[in-house]
Amino acid sequence: MPDYTNIREMIDVSTKSAIHSHDILIVGGGLTGLRAALQVSNAGLDGAVLTKVHPLRSHSVAAQGGMNASLGNVPGEGKTSDSWEKHAYDTVKGSDYLADQDAVALMCREAPATVVELEHMGMVWSRLEDGKIAQRPFGGAGFPRTCYAADRTGHNALHTLYQQVLARNIPVYEEYFVTSLVIDGGRCTGCTAVEIMTGIVHGFVSRATLLATGGFGRIYSRSTNALINTGDGQALALRAGAPLKDMEFVQFHPTTLYGTNILMTEGARGEGGILANKDGERFMKRYAPSSVDLAPRDVVARAIETEIAEGKGFEGGYVQLDLRHLGSDRIKERLPGIRQIAIDFAGVDPVEDPVPVQPGQHYSMGGIDADVNGATPVRGLYAAGECACLSVHGANRLGGNSLLETVVFGRLVADALIRDAGGMPEPRVEAVEAAKNEVEQKISRILGGEWGGNLFSIMDTLKQTMFAEFGIFRNAGSMHEGLLAIRNLQERFLQVSLANKERAVNQALVRYLELEGMLMIAEVVARSAMAREESRGSHTRIDFPERDDSRFLNHTLAVIRDGRIMIEYKPVTLGMFEPEERVY
Amino acid sequence: MKLKVFRQREGMDASRYDTFEIAETPGMTVLGALFRVQEQIDDTLAFRYSCRGAVCGSCAMLINKVPRLACRTQVRSLLKGEQKISLSHYPALDETVSWNPGKEVLVEPLPHLPVIRDLVVDMSAFYRFYRMLDTVFRPTDENPVRERHMEPVAVKDLELYTNCILCAACFGSCPVDEKNPKYPGPAALATLYRFRIDPREDRGMERLEQANTPDGWWACEFHGNCRKVCSRGVPPIVAIGHARQELEKSGKKPEKTGDT
Repeated sequence: MPDYTNIREMIDVSTKSAIHSHDILIVGGGLTGLRAALQVSNAGLDGAVLTKVHPLRSHSVAAQGGMNASLGNVPGEGKTSDSWEKHAYDTVKGSDYLADQDAVALMCREAPATVVELEHMGMVWSRLEDGKIAQRPFGGAGFPRTCYAADRTGHNALHTLYQQVLARNIPVYEEYFVTSLVIDGGRCTGCTAVEIMTGIVHGFVSRATLLATGGFGRIYSRSTNALINTGDGQALALRAGAPLKDMEFVQFHPTTLYGTNILMTEGARGEGGILANKDGERFMKRYAPSSVDLAPRDVVARAIETEIAEGKGFEGGYVQLDLRHLGSDRIKERLPGIRQIAIDFAGVDPVEDPVPVQPGQHYSMGGIDADVNGATPVRGLYAAGECACLSVHGANRLGGNSLLETVVFGRLVADALIRDAGGMPEPRVEAVEAAKNEVEQKISRILGGEWGGNLFSIMDTLKQTMFAEFGIFRNAGSMHEGLLAIRNLQERFLQVSLANKERAVNQALVRYLELEGMLMIAEVVARSAMAREESRGSHTRIDFPERDDSRFLNHTLAVIRDGRIMIEYKPVTLGMFEPEERVY
Repeated sequence: MKLKVFRQREGMDASRYDTFEIAETPGMTVLGALFRVQEQIDDTLAFRYSCRGAVCGSCAMLINKVPRLACRTQVRSLLKGEQKISLSHYPALDETVSWNPGKEVLVEPLPHLPVIRDLVVDMSAFYRFYRMLDTVFRPTDENPVRERHMEPVAVKDLELYTNCILCAACFGSCPVDEKNPKYPGPAALATLYRFRIDPREDRGMERLEQANTPDGWWACEFHGNCRKVCSRGVPPIVAIGHARQELEKSGKKPEKTGDT
């Protein structure tokens, strides 16, 4: 055993200086960021991870159900066998044909190798009796394709990658909040960040930067997301000149725990769980006669909301997820995590009683506009994982495809960065220093302010507004009201000041910086949703109930021009599959 | 209800306790109560958070003198006197501060780690022990083309330990960590043992020998606090017991162990 004599006194010296230089910067320490960091390290380049929380506290850790891959370990109905093409078809159909089919094909082809790669790194997947990795059915999938580690798949994957990162001595700047991207001559050459524990502003110089910062779910009041999912990366990219794509497509997960909106995995229905309204009716039979409870998330979420609106929900607005018929053993073996969550947070043991559930915001299909290599239109700036939109999920993501996306594109986008970074000229330190000084001044201004506006009341109103006006069902009138409310909150934000004037561990400052971005992201979601006059996937317009391929088989792009958010479009990349009507 | 919170920051002569009166709402957790304070009363209050669903391990702290996850701990049940856990005693548990358990919840930083501010502790020692035990999968064979096969029952054994979220509640509850700065602590040793029993590694005794010193496996005194405070049901004490038995059986127990 090593000698630990001075272990408690050891400090990373690297955090003492205020300008740092690395070949490649990776912002975000979740599955995408860590997988990318491994790839960069394996290529012999100097990459560093910056993350606003310790990597293990990233939202990836909360992913429950699994990761899709056509391993074919479990036969389909009638002994049919799975293939990556079938996975791609389900994904494209699930996306309501808005996904780019080249990106989908790439992800689905790489999926089996990705699951196996994690196994080779030590991940403990659940197993079949024959010893192979277990797979179970998930919504919108034609095969039992979802590999899982009980209902703690994200946890197991993240801890596995973290262990690999530790073993390679990859530098991780923990609890650093990135404040700006440095754009020098049209190219991203680094970033600035506040070290939260000390309040020191740091500059980072790099040849190329990868954003892997996750979703923006916390602009909504009812969300399954971690409290840290505030869309920081999307806001950084938009300010740096990169467009945000398809931001109106926000996934609402049908089964979140009533009260706290903590996720109850789709795997619960994959294992045979059923949904019932207050009359005890298995209502999904009416909405999706063939898939029933395992229809895709947008379909099930709309069904539940409709039941509740029609008075068939329980008092307070929920339905029941019934697992009791699965039996105690199966629940404890396959779904131990959500059982514990239901006991801890709702006082309900799914072995004994049905679980009260309602839809809640769950995933951001849209994100930073990136091509199939993760490259954004800003040179030197890349994005992958939930913060990006490549787009593999289109208008609605299938369960089990997000974990897959993180690890597949963490690796592939890192490959692109590695390839491109070598050809990029040496970045200038001066630009980073200037950006660092700007952030210093900005923070002094924020902390010096005495305007008296309250940060948290604005945050709260924003979340309520987003859920009410840009939720599962949308229409022009209420969205217009919603946009006005957002604009009003942006005005009020200018008058916010903090009582906390300290530099070190100032969480009010972090939340101020988060909210600044959230208000911008909310406006992008609002304008994107208002402009899309059709219903597709998760975006349901009461006033435009049909999908309209003639006008909207296009990606929405939001960009800032002359200080204003403008909406533009670009065509979807089609391929193997022609758009059809989506029936489940 | 009242929240009595430990406060400390740079520049303060000594730590102190602040008591905040807040309205209790149904289902309120200790984390929710802390947010209520930060958002409505004192925005300088510092504490870590992320998932709020008891899976990320950010918010372990000492609540009513027991290390727990703040997000998982219901205020109501504390006030009703439920959720009591009786721990093997060590100095940090001494009731140096008075509080009224029927009306107040006492919140303090996790013991055995230096306080940075208020409830935020410096976790680097905890993570460093984990890292120094080489807690990474090191198979002895070449990677096959597909997955290595595993018996479902072996997965079940491993899950006991892979469920650890590294929140450090066990570290903060361990009387040995209080007095022995070289002891890696329950979480790191449990993870090391996870690699010992991973049938895919096949390194024999090698993994156990990594901590086969008086300050490693042999420093544990089997108080069992680690298991009692673990929100994931991980039993480090069992791992340590098995490791010691196995070392002893194969005649590898060090001569001097401090184990009396």
